[in-house]
Amino acid sequence: MSITAAPVSAHGFDAYLAHKRRRRINNWLLVACSVALLAWCFWDTIMFDTDWQRMGGALGIGGTLERFLLIDWSLLPKLLVPALETLMMATLGTILGCVFSLPVAWFGAANVTPSKYFFYPLGRFLMVLSRSIHEIIWALLFVGAVGLGALPGILAVAMRSVGFISKITAEAIENIDPKPVEAIRAVGGNQFQVMYYGIVPQILPVIIGTIIFEWDINIRRSAIMGLVGAGGLGLVFFRQMAMFNYGGVTLVVLAVLVLIAIGEVISHYARKAVI
Amino acid sequence: MRHEKIIVEGRAQRGLPAKVADAMSILEVRNLKVSYSTGGPQILKGIDFEVGGDDFCAVIGPSGAGKSTLIRCINRLVEPTEGDIILFGQSVCPLNSGDLRRLRRRIGMIFQEFNLVNRMSVMDNVLSGRLGYTGAFRSFFKAFPKEDIDRALNLLERVGLQDHVDKRADALSGGQRQRVGIARALMQRPEILLLDEPTSALDPKISRDVMGLIRELAAEFKIPVLCNIHDVQLALETCNRIIGMQDGYKKFDGPAKGMRKQDLDEIYAMEVL
Repeated sequence: MSITAAPVSAHGFDAYLAHKRRRRINNWLLVACSVALLAWCFWDTIMFDTDWQRMGGALGIGGTLERFLLIDWSLLPKLLVPALETLMMATLGTILGCVFSLPVAWFGAANVTPSKYFFYPLGRFLMVLSRSIHEIIWALLFVGAVGLGALPGILAVAMRSVGFISKITAEAIENIDPKPVEAIRAVGGNQFQVMYYGIVPQILPVIIGTIIFEWDINIRRSAIMGLVGAGGLGLVFFRQMAMFNYGGVTLVVLAVLVLIAIGEVISHYARKAVI
Repeated sequence: MRHEKIIVEGRAQRGLPAKVADAMSILEVRNLKVSYSTGGPQILKGIDFEVGGDDFCAVIGPSGAGKSTLIRCINRLVEPTEGDIILFGQSVCPLNSGDLRRLRRRIGMIFQEFNLVNRMSVMDNVLSGRLGYTGAFRSFFKAFPKEDIDRALNLLERVGLQDHVDKRADALSGGQRQRVGIARALMQRPEILLLDEPTSALDPKISRDVMGLIRELAAEFKIPVLCNIHDVQLALETCNRIIGMQDGYKKFDGPAKGMRKQDLDEIYAMEVL
């Protein structure tokens, strides 16, 4: 071969080829393993786990879809109050979440935390805790604790909001310009004044934007709170489903859609006004 | 004049005579040593000097000589490692956080990059100079007493910003922002002014204007000044005393008028080499 005649040492060339071959084999093994895993997942969850007997052919599926599409408009007037309740749940939940976020963000921002060894890890842990538990789980916990109604929903939404709001706030605090803070310390300002005059004006736009975004998300969250008995549109959804009134179910879904669209519009303009 | 009234009232309020005797030394630095980490390189290697009376004292020297560290030690924005700083007759180093805050109220500081709160108005920035004297409730609502507001308006007029009172600090030019910084420092009715490179973010002409303004106000309010500055020409023009630093040591200390070219050459020897 002409390549062996090239001024590349034979040893270097062979080693390179061997290395390349090994890498190619490794890549193929990886692909083969992935495909096998995918096949196993498909087999186990869809082929094996599905109740094929009950599916009842194309006609059955079409019939169910048709039942959902015949919207039960008579339910419309009864949706107004639950829709408002959902909106209020989202709003109160967001406000309460902001209140809870204040200490968490303070603890969890490395540059202002009262103690690096106790409060900082605590703040970070609370942030993770809030986000790693789903809002439905929070709602179930609070339904158990304070009973049915909107209150457990508000508390669940608040707890779920803390993680996001406090994390973004803590990061904003960590990224501030330290120079104004130094100036407030130099005039003899205390801890509160340093925060209020040196830090808050710098992070305010970020925080307000985050709160509006969180409120927007919380409308979605509140809409499903009723599934576990925490009021709002979700509760109507649950009842319609229990009565097999599929037309009503569709109407509730549409109502949720409209509510979320309204929230989207409001938050769009609110964000524009603030930033 | 109104401003003189302010000074006299300010001094009376602090229980001081209307005029401070020139000979009184307000600041004493003794064998000051600083290193930022234990066992790390020493930035200041034993500095001694006194400031008092009508001193307008410039600290000059090449970059890295420790000028900024020296200025920041005096109000303990940087913690001294060894030695002592005696300000207004009390040692600064052993103060607890509350006493340190009370001491800092009496020290005006002007910064290289102005250190204003950009999203706050010019007026609020100036008023923030009074925070050390303002309770939590008043500071929460930014409700400063009438006399503070009057004084802030006076000072803003003095520094030529009477038309910018309600503007946001970041809407001003560099020279104007430094004037806000000056007004904020004077709001404290300081008994000493620390200037950390007050002109190095400004162009030469504005630098001269700003230094001139500071000299004028310091003379009028009888405040001694310790000013860290790298523009030697400007230092010689503005200040009446020069402290020359090199590599953490004091190399020169004397009146600006008596400074010879060879003194400067010695201070800046590092740069020549």
